[in-house]
Amino acid sequence: MICLSHLTKQYGALVAVDDLCFDVREGEVLGLLGPNGAGKTTTMRMVTGFLPPSKGRVRIAGYDLYDSPIQAKRRVGYLPEQPPLYPDMTVRRYLGFVAALKDLPAGRTKSAVALAIERARIGDVADRRIATLSKGYRQRVGLAQAIVHEPPVLVLDEPTSSLDPKQRYEVRELISELRGRHTVILSTHILPEVSDVADRVVIISRGRVMAVDTPARLAERLRARESVRLEIGTGGAATTVSPDGVREALAALPGVRDVHVHLNPSGTIDARIGSEVGVDLRAEAAALVTGRGWPLLGLSGESPSLEEIFLALTRNEDEGGA
Amino acid sequence: MRHVLAIARREIESYFVSPIAYAVMTVFTFVSGLFFSNMLVYYVRQAAMADAQVQKFGRSDLQLDVPTVVLAQFFQNEAFLLMLAVPLLTMGLVTDERRKGTLELLMTSPVRSIEIVGGKFLGAFAFLVLMVLPVVPMFAFMGAGGEWETGVVASGIRGLFLLGGAQIALGLLVSSLCENMLVSAIGTYGLVVTLQFVDTAGAAQGSLWVRVLGSLSFYARHLNSTRGVVAIADIVYFVSWIVLGLFLAQRSVDALRFKRS
Repeated sequence: MICLSHLTKQYGALVAVDDLCFDVREGEVLGLLGPNGAGKTTTMRMVTGFLPPSKGRVRIAGYDLYDSPIQAKRRVGYLPEQPPLYPDMTVRRYLGFVAALKDLPAGRTKSAVALAIERARIGDVADRRIATLSKGYRQRVGLAQAIVHEPPVLVLDEPTSSLDPKQRYEVRELISELRGRHTVILSTHILPEVSDVADRVVIISRGRVMAVDTPARLAERLRARESVRLEIGTGGAATTVSPDGVREALAALPGVRDVHVHLNPSGTIDARIGSEVGVDLRAEAAALVTGRGWPLLGLSGESPSLEEIFLALTRNEDEGGA
Repeated sequence: MRHVLAIARREIESYFVSPIAYAVMTVFTFVSGLFFSNMLVYYVRQAAMADAQVQKFGRSDLQLDVPTVVLAQFFQNEAFLLMLAVPLLTMGLVTDERRKGTLELLMTSPVRSIEIVGGKFLGAFAFLVLMVLPVVPMFAFMGAGGEWETGVVASGIRGLFLLGGAQIALGLLVSSLCENMLVSAIGTYGLVVTLQFVDTAGAAQGSLWVRVLGSLSFYARHLNSTRGVVAIADIVYFVSWIVLGLFLAQRSVDALRFKRS
């Protein structure tokens, strides 16, 4: 339904999006995940035809965005990061205006606007001026604007950022309801959002694809790493404790993949040991620390969250790029 | 065409919720009335004086055709007022869309950039028409004392529309180049004031420059219409500015996509 091939955007020497290739199948909800500045918005803008790419192509429902932009754009609903609202219009008038821009036949405008209002659940504010609406309502009006012409493709750029948790939940609910009616690309830097609504996730960092997978399989990959967190005191120890010493000692344990040590301002040392899947190092780590006479203040085992996998993936990229 | 009308309609609606537009309209109408009554009173006095001279001495050096003199003066003053008003109407045309992020909506819709520019122009022009028309009832005062001079009035109004149209097209172009409304207004002032008075450049009389600049000047081109003269060359001149302004504005709006934001 949506097909990106070798999509690249360069600003002078800076490559914002680098040779992006992926397809979104009909009816699928695809999450585009990445830290701020990864190139999510640039990608979205190229997919919707706002930004011309430096290289590469985008096809929407079989129409090439550059050869037949009008045909392709008719089939896309787009909610940019900042909803494109006219504060001085009423919600109903605004949606009517958008319907006209999107080439919805004049005879169908009224019913389409009513339907979009219903689906976005903004009936109670439909005749109010947009300027008087709260942020959550504005976001929903933005969503209504994107779906008013029943486009097969929906592009939503960080639809829940800058909302409070309740509004975020409501918007997420709305997006879940869109499933099946539209093929959706959704960008976000909030991970739970993706695991809730997306069928597939593309992780990008610095404009490049780091991983493409289902949220479940990504989570599994995350679980492929376990870690133990230790807090070690430095005061009143029988032997001196230094971050370097801790790192060296922990790294020598069998099955350890990596060790991160951090000296807190309060004088305690935080250590995190990453290990292979299925290897539980809690007992060994505790024995080692106490055996050396270091005060063990805390110990916990952690299965990494989606955040961590994500951080790990993007951190590797940072190191590779440096 | 549907896109153009939709965009124009939205533009007009947004004028009527904006205090700027009401302020511009009010001041324009008020100052127009002031000019008109001052001039009317002045020339009526002159005419009365001429009448008195004729009665006393049998002749007068003051040969006055009050309606046409008043109208010519009035429309010249109106041109001056338009020059002050139009940049305030055009300053936000594209600038404001960029600020609000709605340009992204327009550009990701199946709408061509020429339709965006055309709709904006049409919207601003419709507002200009609404702003200028309230001066028409003033001419009833002249009708009360003599002739309405419908021909001169029609020619004068047409002249204002042409002049205003050219100013709007240029304002639209400047607005598409600016990220800040104030800068857009100032830039448009610079452009329209220069074009209004370009014939007053201090070149030697009769030189080629005087003729070239004279033919480029909004003021000189507008003069005929205030006297009831319909000159094709003037119409072509102003329409050319409109076409040029819209063409460049369309290119400029297209180029906005390439800007990093």
